[in-house]
Amino acid sequence: MSPALSLSAIGLVVAATIGIGLFGLRISRTTSDFYVASRAITPRWNASAISGEYLSAASFLGVAGLVLVNGADMLWFSVGYTVGYLMLLVLVAAPLRRSGAYTLPDFAETRFESAAVRRICAGLVVGIGTLYLLPQLHGAGLAVQTVTGAPPQVGAMIVAVIVVINVAAGGMRSITFVQAFQYWLKLTALATPIFVILLAWHQPTGVLDSLHGAAAEWAEPLSRAGGRAHPLYATYSLLMALCFGTMGLPHVLVRFYTNPDGRAARRTTVVVLALLGLFYLFPPMYAVLGRTFAPDLVGAGGDTVVLELPGRVFPGTAGDLLGALVAAGAFAAFLSTSSGLTVAIAGVIDQDLLRSRLHRWTGGDYVAVNSFRIAALLAMVVPYLAFTVTGALSLADTVGLAFALAASTFCPLLVLGIWWRRMSTTGAAAGLVVGGIAASAAALVNVTGGPHGGWPRALVGQPAAWTMPLAFLTVIVVSKLTPDKIPAGTARSMVRLHTPEAVDVDRGPGPATAHRALPTARRS
Amino acid sequence: MSDTRDPDLTTYRDVQLSPDFTELRRRFRRFVFPMTALFLVWYFVYVLLADYAHGFMSHKIGGSNITVALIFGLLQFVSTFAITLIYVRWADRKLDPDAAKLRHQIEGAQQ
Repeated sequence: MSPALSLSAIGLVVAATIGIGLFGLRISRTTSDFYVASRAITPRWNASAISGEYLSAASFLGVAGLVLVNGADMLWFSVGYTVGYLMLLVLVAAPLRRSGAYTLPDFAETRFESAAVRRICAGLVVGIGTLYLLPQLHGAGLAVQTVTGAPPQVGAMIVAVIVVINVAAGGMRSITFVQAFQYWLKLTALATPIFVILLAWHQPTGVLDSLHGAAAEWAEPLSRAGGRAHPLYATYSLLMALCFGTMGLPHVLVRFYTNPDGRAARRTTVVVLALLGLFYLFPPMYAVLGRTFAPDLVGAGGDTVVLELPGRVFPGTAGDLLGALVAAGAFAAFLSTSSGLTVAIAGVIDQDLLRSRLHRWTGGDYVAVNSFRIAALLAMVVPYLAFTVTGALSLADTVGLAFALAASTFCPLLVLGIWWRRMSTTGAAAGLVVGGIAASAAALVNVTGGPHGGWPRALVGQPAAWTMPLAFLTVIVVSKLTPDKIPAGTARSMVRLHTPEAVDVDRGPGPATAHRALPTARRS
Repeated sequence: MSDTRDPDLTTYRDVQLSPDFTELRRRFRRFVFPMTALFLVWYFVYVLLADYAHGFMSHKIGGSNITVALIFGLLQFVSTFAITLIYVRWADRKLDPDAAKLRHQIEGAQQ
């Protein structure tokens, strides 16, 4: 692998990211631009941006690595990542848009009329976002280490600094353009080496044959090939986390607000599923080819297989060029996902933690956008510190834990909050706290090196199958016990959530105080 | 928020209790919930088949290296996409016209 070539490619991605970000700065003027790009982005741009943002280090590097090490079971990661969008679309996307809330805490506050529930949600957004940012930083560290041999802190620091600069400079509008560009870059970077390998190489059946000898078990579903116990439980639990967790990911939800209306949001989802499906065809191919060309990576965790494969297949200039392309794509993945997460976390820190304090300290003498910029910095500092103290868990596994936490907290809040009229405020809070504590405990045990085998490892490694039902049960039981705590405005909320947007009803106080400073037409 | 008029609570309750609103919600639920359950069952059964029906899943089609498991695996993506298209068409054809009807009702009530 040629460090100079790969570094220039990474440099180009970084330059393009900052360049498009600065271009976005010129056109983002209002608070609404900052958060939701004034709801004026066409479905195709938006779908590219959603896909660009969603395909993180876990998808670009992690899935191929997991399939390489653990075999066909891990293909469920890519199916689950895709299905999560469908669940989001059919169950919550439309009602949530109608609620007029920009973020999950906004939704919680308007639906449950409680500042406490809002604060719990704000904490969870920061928690989920941090857990999701962690593997992006680990991935960046790993990529730079693979390319140049530099310590992991270098790559993580590069990503952290660029993301904070870009988010602070342009907010959502510029991020949308950056991410749409980065989807296509990622797809090109991942697909080109595969096509070159398949074209240059005259007996592709040789690879399939090699799977039938000693490695045959690896290609069988639920084979325990990677030494993971209880594969049926683990697969079900993973599927639940991915199916129901996507709707609770802060950076995913905010994207649905950037569509001008519900119809456009549906169009966007169709395009997103097509783009994601197309992308996920490639990581398994890296894993299959990796079994033949880089079997030594199996012991090393496999996360670098995408980066190393081109150089293994084509030693020399061709391999260097393809390797540089893949490294650039990987960096696009770290940057785009981290940017989206940072926007979402910063939005919450800004609104719920920072702005009121800043107001008090400066006696009202501050600019709203500056508060967001400080929040963007804070949003990255915590994951970076976590990165320096945690070991490198498999990238896709860490992301899986973020999904499990989202599925155990925001999924019950949203699904029951939207569909169940007798849900009480106490029930909502109890569900968030119980699901949140159970899933974050599992995540903490995992990232600090958890139990090694058998049921404890399976239950802690893939917690969603028990933490999610636990959270749902808590909400239902506590709500039944506290019927007097059902929000007084439930009937009104239900009308707002379920009356299609074309209907001109007053949708209530809507987005939190901050946005009122710069009103824009919401139904454009 | 440009909308500053006082919320007319009676109208909300009226809408909430009106047969059209109940029907809209019911129709949405009757379509969305069974469909969600159905496709979840399809994913979960696939995993179960992979565990307990090894013979069936590793059956090779036409002497090639392509197994039933591989076909089913690819179908997971295809079916996800198909379900999305079905939902979008349903929402365009059924949900939007009903919503328009409800709008006339509410706007009539407010004038």
